[in-house]
Amino acid sequence: MHELSLAQALIDQVKALLKDYDAQKVIKVSVEIGPFSGIVVDSFEFSYYALIKEEPQFYGSKLEIITPPAFYQCPFCGRKFKEDELDRDKRCPFCKDSFLTPLGESDILLKTVEME
Amino acid sequence: MCEWCGCGQTDSHHDHGHDHSDTSKIIELNKSILEENNKIALTNKEHIEALGAVGINFISSPGSGKTTLLQETIKRLKPDNIKIGVIEGDIETQRDAQRIREQKVPVVQLTTGGACHLDARLVHKGIHQLEHQLEENGLNLLFIENVGNLVCPASFYLGEHKRVVLVSVPEGSDKPAKYPKAFIDADLFIISKIDLLDYFDFSIDEAKQEALKLNPNLDIICLSSVTGEGIDEWISYLKNLLHKN
Repeated sequence: MHELSLAQALIDQVKALLKDYDAQKVIKVSVEIGPFSGIVVDSFEFSYYALIKEEPQFYGSKLEIITPPAFYQCPFCGRKFKEDELDRDKRCPFCKDSFLTPLGESDILLKTVEME
Repeated sequence: MCEWCGCGQTDSHHDHGHDHSDTSKIIELNKSILEENNKIALTNKEHIEALGAVGINFISSPGSGKTTLLQETIKRLKPDNIKIGVIEGDIETQRDAQRIREQKVPVVQLTTGGACHLDARLVHKGIHQLEHQLEENGLNLLFIENVGNLVCPASFYLGEHKRVVLVSVPEGSDKPAKYPKAFIDADLFIISKIDLLDYFDFSIDEAKQEALKLNPNLDIICLSSVTGEGIDEWISYLKNLLHKN
């Protein structure tokens, strides 16, 4: 459950921003979780809403999570596919090659914060 | 049009479940949530270098043989006068530290008290504690044995120079495909307990291929701490790191 530590890190970062911008209240926090980050989106969301119960400046705030899809690139034809576009054996639907390279972020980014 | 959600409605104060009050502001950041951790990790790296050492972060599931491999490694490197320090991460107990202490090398046990991974802040503390145990002649190799877990530790950079991920034969060769993050950011993949290959349905080729798909620059070593097979390769890998330093 490293999602709890990450949600806490997010809240700490946003709290520092509130101070920097002299704001009182968080309205919306937007994060992007990469497909290879190893982070469970539901657990992260659960952790955020559990932790802000102790943070009056976050009461009523909304957490938006953007999850860009992973792509898989065929080394032979160079085409990129989403997971559901691969064939049943997870191969390139054109070349039938299974040695596909996964493409996608493995980070978790704080994109925007709306505050007042 | 409401710029926030791009819904196309001209009334900017319609209900999204959040208000667009006149006093609110939107700040664009695009920065990693792990930034604070990564900053501390970089100071850890400087600290390890100031001690004269190379730092290695060991990641694997529980029971894949991290501590046993460390014990073997210490035995093999001690006669060459290579000075080793160990930071042990576990949820509870001093057991791993005790096993390392028996080899008479400086060791610090970090108990996370429930957390499933080490983070840079904990390791920062660990390095300071270890420093007190060091003799004047410093340190060459610092092993950080992470909490046994193939998922969470992968997200936290600790300031190491090399990240080593271990998978043992009984765990199965599908682990790289199932736990990609641990392999994407690793430098070396060790397949351990290869003395058990005859008893398990483990394909070294599959494990290697899956791992290289995720990370084409990954070095791979197969070894057994029990029979000693492959240990020479691992020891030369370590000695190489020291020379480069």
